[in-house]
Amino acid sequence: MLQGKNIVEGWRSLFIQGLLALLFLILAGRYYYLMIVFHEKYAEKAAANHIRAVPVLASRGVIYDRAGNTIVDNAPSYTISVIPIEVKNKSESLKRLSDVMEVSVEEINRRIAKNRRGSFAPAKVFSRVPFEKISHLQEHRLELIGVTYSIEPIRNYVSNIDLSHALGYTREINRDDLNRFSGEQDYQPGDQVGWKGLEKFYEAELHGRRGFRYIEVNALGQEIGEMTDREPVNPVPGHDIYLTIDSKIQRAVEAVMADSSGAVVILNHSNGEVLAYQSSPGVDLEMLSGRISAKDWNELTTNPRNPLFDRGIQGLYPAGSTLKPLSALFSLEYLSNAKERTYRCRGSYRLGNRSFGCWKRGGHGQMNLHQAIEQSCNVYFYNLIQDIGIENWAMVAREFGFGELTGIDIPRENKGLVPDTRYMNRKYGEGKWTRGNLLNIVVGQGDVLATPLQLAQFAGMIAQKGVQYQPHLVNKILSKNGQLILENKPEAELKVEASEETWQFIQEAMYAVVNGKKGTGKAARHRNVEVYGKTGTAQNPHGEDHAWFIGFSLDKRYPYAWAVLLENGGGGGGIAAPFFGRVLRRIIEE
Amino acid sequence: MQIRTYLLDQLRDLDWTLLLLAILLALSGLTAIYSIEVQHGTSAGYFARQSMWTVLGIALFFTAFYTSRKVIHNFAYIAYAVGILLLLIPITINRGGAVTRWIMIGNYGFQPSEFMKILLVIGLAKYFGDHKRKLSTFKELMTPLAMTLVPMFLVLIQPDLGTALVYFAILSTIIFWAGIRPLYFFLLLAPAISMLAAFQTLTFFLWMGLILVVLYFGNQPFWTKVLNFGINIFLGGITNVLWGVLKPYQQQRILSLFNSDLDPLGAGYQVSQSLTALGAGGPYGKGFGEGTQTHLKFLPEQHTDFIMTVIGEEFGFIGVSIVLVLFYFLLAKLITLAYSVKFRFDSVILIGVAAILVFHIFINLGMIVGIMPVTGIPLPFISYGGSFMLTCMILVGLAANMAIIRRAV
Repeated sequence: MLQGKNIVEGWRSLFIQGLLALLFLILAGRYYYLMIVFHEKYAEKAAANHIRAVPVLASRGVIYDRAGNTIVDNAPSYTISVIPIEVKNKSESLKRLSDVMEVSVEEINRRIAKNRRGSFAPAKVFSRVPFEKISHLQEHRLELIGVTYSIEPIRNYVSNIDLSHALGYTREINRDDLNRFSGEQDYQPGDQVGWKGLEKFYEAELHGRRGFRYIEVNALGQEIGEMTDREPVNPVPGHDIYLTIDSKIQRAVEAVMADSSGAVVILNHSNGEVLAYQSSPGVDLEMLSGRISAKDWNELTTNPRNPLFDRGIQGLYPAGSTLKPLSALFSLEYLSNAKERTYRCRGSYRLGNRSFGCWKRGGHGQMNLHQAIEQSCNVYFYNLIQDIGIENWAMVAREFGFGELTGIDIPRENKGLVPDTRYMNRKYGEGKWTRGNLLNIVVGQGDVLATPLQLAQFAGMIAQKGVQYQPHLVNKILSKNGQLILENKPEAELKVEASEETWQFIQEAMYAVVNGKKGTGKAARHRNVEVYGKTGTAQNPHGEDHAWFIGFSLDKRYPYAWAVLLENGGGGGGIAAPFFGRVLRRIIEE
Repeated sequence: MQIRTYLLDQLRDLDWTLLLLAILLALSGLTAIYSIEVQHGTSAGYFARQSMWTVLGIALFFTAFYTSRKVIHNFAYIAYAVGILLLLIPITINRGGAVTRWIMIGNYGFQPSEFMKILLVIGLAKYFGDHKRKLSTFKELMTPLAMTLVPMFLVLIQPDLGTALVYFAILSTIIFWAGIRPLYFFLLLAPAISMLAAFQTLTFFLWMGLILVVLYFGNQPFWTKVLNFGINIFLGGITNVLWGVLKPYQQQRILSLFNSDLDPLGAGYQVSQSLTALGAGGPYGKGFGEGTQTHLKFLPEQHTDFIMTVIGEEFGFIGVSIVLVLFYFLLAKLITLAYSVKFRFDSVILIGVAAILVFHIFINLGMIVGIMPVTGIPLPFISYGGSFMLTCMILVGLAANMAIIRRAV
C-alpha cells in the first residue's frame, strides 16, 4: 500500500517543530554561556593547560668562615634522568645505560620508581656523573631513547679545612622529609636537602627557592618549545652563611689532631663563638653528598673508629678531673675555711673495706685546695665531697650547663648526664648506692657524662666568672643581595653566682695547673700567653683511658676557652695538655 | 530516452536546499579536519580520505534520490532482514576475543549498525505505510517494537550503547508521528525514565507519583494500570543490577555527564578539555589553524566525536552558530516536508531521517559541552568517518527522494 495517506495531525508536527527549536535553543544557550560568558575563565585554563613549568634549581647558599674565606660553595654537576614513559617498552635503553654506568638495570628501575614524578617527567637516576660518562652517553644517544642529562649545582668543598662534622652534608630528600616539608618549601623528589650538621640546621636559609622556565607541551607532555610570551621565574639562591670558625685556628687543630680519634672545641668565651670545631676522624663530605655507594656506606658504618660519629656534641665521656674546679667552687662559697682545709693524700682513700686510689700511687702528701687542683689530687676531693653532698654537687654542675643542651646550632646534640639523688635512686635503688659512688662522681668518673662542647663551655664560664654566652657556629646569614637575614649575638647570662674571691682562687689554681711547678698541665704552657687549664683522665671500661685538657686564656688577643678530648689517649696531663700546647703554638706562631 | 526523462524529471523535483545544506555542513567538517592536519603536519591523510568520502557521499545521495520509491517499498523488509544478518556477522566472527562493530572489506571497514539506522526507518515506514494504524491498542505496537528491539539488542552486546539509543529514538519519534495516543506514548517512555530516575531516591519517588497520577486519569482497565505501575517499579529496581552489567567505561561516561571533574583522565577528561577548548575560543575564535587545545592533542578523538571543539576554538561562537543554523534549517525543512508530503510511507521516512539526525546532533553537541553523556556518537556530515558520512548522505538523499510531492499516483 504505497498509497497509504499521510494522516499526521498538525499538532504533532507543531510539537516536533517546537521540540526541535527547544533543543537548538538549549544548545545555543549552552555554547553562548561557555564561549561568551565564561570565555576568560576558559582562556586562562587553556593557557595553563599547555604550559609546563620546568624547575630551575636554586644554588645552595655558600658557607664562609669568619673572615669571608669560602669553605663550601657550589659546582655544576651532571645528572642523568630517565623519562619513564619513553623507556617503558625500551629495555635496550636501560640496558645500555646500565652498561655505561656499571649499575644494574634493577637498581636503575628502583631509582626511577623512587624519584618518579609522573610518566612524562624526568626521574633522576644518577647524580655527580663524570664528564667522560656524559660524553659517552652523548655518542650513543640514539640507543638511549628516554635518557636525558642535565646540569645542576652540587656542593663543592673548596677550603683546605675539614670541619666535616660541623658542616654536615646534603643528601637526596627522602619520602618522609618530602611529606614533612610539603607546603613550606617546594621540594621535589631528587632534591638535595641538608642531612647533617649546619647544612641541616640552616636548611631553610641555605636552600633557596627554585625558579621556573615555561615550555609549551602537548597533551602527551612532550616538549614543543620555549614559551616566548611568558617570563621565566628566576631561581632565588640560598642565603650565605658566615661561620664563627677561624680557619687558621681550625687548621692548627686539624694539623695537630692528624689521625687520632677525639674532639677539640675552641670557643671565644667572651661571646660564645666557636672558633674551631673538630671531631676526628672526619668524613669525606664529597663522598657523602649526593649518592654514596652501598659499599662505601657499609665501610663507614662498620669502621670501628666510627667516623660518622660527631664526638664534639654527641660523644658522651666521663669528664674526669676536669670537673674538680666545680667542687672547689662550692666549697669556697659554702664550706668553712675551704682555702685552709688540708687533707693528707697517701695515694688512696679507704671507705669501708674498699680502697679508692689517687692517680699518684705514692700519694701527694698534705694538700690544700689550691694544690689539690694544681696536682689533681683525688684523695683531697674524696674527702671534700663528703661535706658537699651529691645534691649540692649536682646543682652546681647544672648551673655550669652540664646535663643540658648547650643549644649550639647543629642538630643532634647530646645533653650528657649529671647524677643526683633521684637519678642514683632510680639507677641503683634507694639505699643501694653508697658513698663510694659519690667518690666516683667527684672525680668525674662513672655516671658523670659530658660532651667536649659542654666542657669547653665550662672552661669559658670559669674565664667569664660565671657568665655564659650560648655557643654558636654561625655569625650571620646574608642574602645574595647583602640583606642581613640573621645575626647571632648571644646575650651574656650570669649562670653561676660566686664571689670575686672564689673566681680568683679557682682561676689561680687553674693557672697553676699549667704554670705551677707541680702542675699536671705544664705541657700546655706558652711563654707569651697565660694559659689556664685543667687536665682530666676519663676511665674507659673498653680500653685505654680518654685524655682531657680544658682551659682558657684571659689574654685579650686570645679570648679562648677550649676542651680537648683524645680517645684512648691515656692521661690528660701526659697527652692532652701537650697536644693543646702544640695547637696553641701553631695558632700564635703561624 | 525514458530513463533520461525520468532522471531529468526527478532532478527538476529535487529540493536543492537539502543537498546544499548537506554539502555546506560537510565542508565545515573538512575545514576543521584540514586545520588539524596542517597544524600537525601529519600525513595521516584524514583530509584526503574525508574528501573522498564526501564525494562518494554525494554520489550516494543521488543514488538514494534516484532509487525508485517502489523498489524501496518492496524491498523494505528484505533489506531490514539483511541488515539484521549483517549485524550478526561481527558477533559471530569473534576476532581475538573482542566483539567488534566493524566488518572489513579490503582495507575499509564499515559498520553495519550505521546502515541499520536507515533500514530500520524504511522498515518501520513500510509497516506504517501499509497499515492504517493509529496505534490505539498495545497489540498494534508489538511489531514496530520488536523490529526495533532486535537490532537494539544486537548492538548492545557489541557493546554500542549510543547506537542502541539511536534505534530507540527512531522508534519513539516514528510512533509519535504515526499517531500514538499521548497517554500510551507516555507509558511507553515511562520505563526508560524510571530506570534513569532510579539513580536518585527522591527523583524516583516523585516520578512514581507522576506515573500514578497519569494512570489515575487514564481509562485503562484496573489491572492494566497495576501491571504498568509494577513494570516501572520493577525496572527501577533492577537498574542497579543492570548498572553492574555495564562496562566500567560506560558507567564512567554516564557518570561523567553529571560531573566532568569526576574522572579527569577518562570520559570526564575529554569533556573538561573540550569545555576548555570551546571556552578559550570565545566569540570570534583563535583563527584557522590556531587552536592550541585541540592541536596539542589535549583532546582525543578531536577529528571524530569532538570535531566541534576544533570549530569552536578556531572560529568561535560565530562559527558554532553558523553550524547550528545550518543544522536547524536542514531539520526544520525535513519536518516540514514530513508533514506536507502526501503519503504516509514518505512521511515516516522523512521524520525517521530527521529523528536520526536530531538525535546525533543533539547528543554530540550536548556531549562536548557537558550536558549529554560521552557515548561515542559522531556529528553528522562533520565528524571524520566514512561509514557515517555515507549514511548521512544516503539519509538526506532518501529524504529528498521522499520529498517529491507532486509525483503522479
